[in-house]
Amino acid sequence: MARTLSLRMRIGLAIVLALLVVLGGRLFHIQGLDPAGHAHQAISNRLHTVELPAARGDIVDTQGRLLAGSADRYDIVADPRLTGDYTVPDEEMGMQRPVTVEQTAEELALLLEADAEDVLESLTAENTHYSTIARNVTPEVHQRIMELRAPGVYAEPVSERTYPSGPVAGSIIGFVGSDGPLEGLEAEANEALTGEPGERIYEVGADGVRIPTATYEEIPAEDGQDLRLTIDQDIQWFAQEAIAEKTNEYNAQWGNATVVDLREGREGEILAMADSETVDPSDPAATDELFRRPLALTQDFEPGSGGKSVTFAAALEEGVVEPESEFHVPYRITVNGESIRNARTHADYDMTAAGIYARSYNTGTLMIGNRMEEQTRYDYLRKVGYGEPMDIGLGVDGQSILRPPEEWDRRQPLTTQFGQGYTGSVLHNVQLYQMLAQDGVKHPLRIVDAHLDPDGEEHLVTSEPERIFSSNTSQEMLKLMEGVVDYGSAMGAQIDGYRVGGKSGTAEAAGASGGFDGYTVNFIGVAPLDDPQFVVSITVHRPAGQFGDWDLTNTFTDIMTHALTSYDVPPSEEESGAYDGFVGERQDYPW
Amino acid sequence: MSVHPLADPQPAERSAGRRAGSPNSPAPNLRALPTVRRRQKGLIAGVLVLLIAALAAVLATNIYVANSQYDVVQMTNEHRDLVHQNQALTQQVQFLESPQALSNSAVTLGMVMPAPAGTIDLSTGEIVSSAEVASSSEVPSSFVSAPTSWQPEQTPVDVAEQTETSASGLLGAGALHTLSQPPAGENSPGTATGGTSPAIELNGGTIPAPQVTD
Repeated sequence: MARTLSLRMRIGLAIVLALLVVLGGRLFHIQGLDPAGHAHQAISNRLHTVELPAARGDIVDTQGRLLAGSADRYDIVADPRLTGDYTVPDEEMGMQRPVTVEQTAEELALLLEADAEDVLESLTAENTHYSTIARNVTPEVHQRIMELRAPGVYAEPVSERTYPSGPVAGSIIGFVGSDGPLEGLEAEANEALTGEPGERIYEVGADGVRIPTATYEEIPAEDGQDLRLTIDQDIQWFAQEAIAEKTNEYNAQWGNATVVDLREGREGEILAMADSETVDPSDPAATDELFRRPLALTQDFEPGSGGKSVTFAAALEEGVVEPESEFHVPYRITVNGESIRNARTHADYDMTAAGIYARSYNTGTLMIGNRMEEQTRYDYLRKVGYGEPMDIGLGVDGQSILRPPEEWDRRQPLTTQFGQGYTGSVLHNVQLYQMLAQDGVKHPLRIVDAHLDPDGEEHLVTSEPERIFSSNTSQEMLKLMEGVVDYGSAMGAQIDGYRVGGKSGTAEAAGASGGFDGYTVNFIGVAPLDDPQFVVSITVHRPAGQFGDWDLTNTFTDIMTHALTSYDVPPSEEESGAYDGFVGERQDYPW
Repeated sequence: MSVHPLADPQPAERSAGRRAGSPNSPAPNLRALPTVRRRQKGLIAGVLVLLIAALAAVLATNIYVANSQYDVVQMTNEHRDLVHQNQALTQQVQFLESPQALSNSAVTLGMVMPAPAGTIDLSTGEIVSSAEVASSSEVPSSFVSAPTSWQPEQTPVDVAEQTETSASGLLGAGALHTLSQPPAGENSPGTATGGTSPAIELNGGTIPAPQVTD
């Protein structure tokens, strides 16, 4: 049946084949070789890459209450080249209604609660294609603005930090500026909080809708870690109220109240670090610069009589004194030509070491301290932390100035025994009482409890405890502190049902001109002494009035009682373990 | 379609050839042809139906996928709105939960600072300390100011407002009902998709224009 094709047919077929080859060749040239990059261009035209921002981690308190979080906000921006008069469909009239750029500005100003002229200026700015109308607008306002359908007005999604409790713990949390984090944990833990942004790649058709069957890649963002602090928001607020009230009462320059946890497993955790005035991270500019960072670290001052605790603990540790060792204590003594007095004149007393500590007599303290070498006393000061910066993981180091004995002047060998001639921050002082209250073991103070991964995994922040004093020294020191509260210089610190110990201190504050022109008053207490649970420190700087006018013990008892009841610490009926202050039967000698 | 003319003669030839072996075969054997032809017709119809069905299926799938894309865009927007709404409400709760706000609310309600609490030793049944009456003058101080970023008049969504018109009058059940469905007497199609989403602009057509928000 083989039928030969006619010549005409063959020629036609050949032409068709030839054309097919030419077309095929061209197709291969364009699609396969793509010398002009058309295919590539087409894909890149359709391809959209969108960054998926990583959510910044939250900062929560020890019980998970939010201290800092993030919320979606929009920056409203304009491209002035595209703004102008436009028309919008009017449903009522069923036709297009013209809108002038001035009207747009007015409508925007109404929504943004801004000045219409400023908005108009942004809309009509010359020689630019980008001008910001408003920052951090809520999604609700953003939606209303988008409903205006004004040409050339866009919204850029941004993330804004929110601080639901405002100034509570504000200086610890820190704040974020327009260019990034500036202070506090926001800055210090920025890397952990930030996370890794992801990416989404997809193809979009001419109508602006994603092509369902085309390329789609998504690299998910890795959200930042959350930060759980040791701070208890409730105690922090209570302490802030209490110290603000006290600072206000004495018209002082600043005040600080710090609460540290001593409970098992939580030793050294800072529950509250409250300043008399605190920055609101949402509006840092409204607060004086002094109060934008935690005062417990930024301010160093002479510890005053609180520093006698180092001398007494060292003397007990070295075995040069016993709590009931007897001393004949005058009002004034002269050592190496330097005269040292007590705060108030008094007759000579026959006292125990415990009594000297309770009444905070400088002369008696010298009698005990001078039983040790200068270098020994210096070494103890260094061992408890003075002379070294205090780092609690907040990015701000607490300063402490302590010169070595070789550099001491004629008075410093004496004054350093009762807390003068060297400085420390509030946390240096608190750390000392933490170790005295906890069996002589130093648990470094810290403020970050854990880093929490987005999937909930916890990375606890731990620290190495270190023994500084013997268990016996620690026990004796607690009894000495109990004497201070029972019959000594801080009887106002007693709390019904609990054994309380502490030490008050007053030191002169160095002025800008070099001399001393004010006082720093403090009280640090521990309770309950049968099983110490909390250290509370109160410090007030430059209170108005005269020496002896100030009493911080009521602020201490307020905060300590609040902490004890908040954490369900039951009262006990244990007897006081304080030693007698005076030799003999009579104990009520005048001050 | 071009297959049919070629396929047509073959079966006829084959059956004819088979029958050629027996010389006595009668001619009426060829009558089978109409049946074959009828079968072929069925096949063609079947192929056609299949082809059309396949085309229709592809078309339907395409239309469905395209429509779904619009739905996805719309639902994404709706989801974002709801997330924002939820965020605003959560923030409202957080601000109201802040210690200052709680303290202020307590003062407004006439509450004062507590007096020492009483304690009982459970093992002995002994009263360790007795509770005292709180003094009405012990009003908590308010040195710590409220967060500056929180303005009560900024209240983003008041759920109570939405539940006012609910028939049940119970906040819980009514709220759910009103949030999932428009309040009675309000049946404009524009608001059916969600409380805060903008009215859909149809521009004279029936399918809303897509909004790409990226």
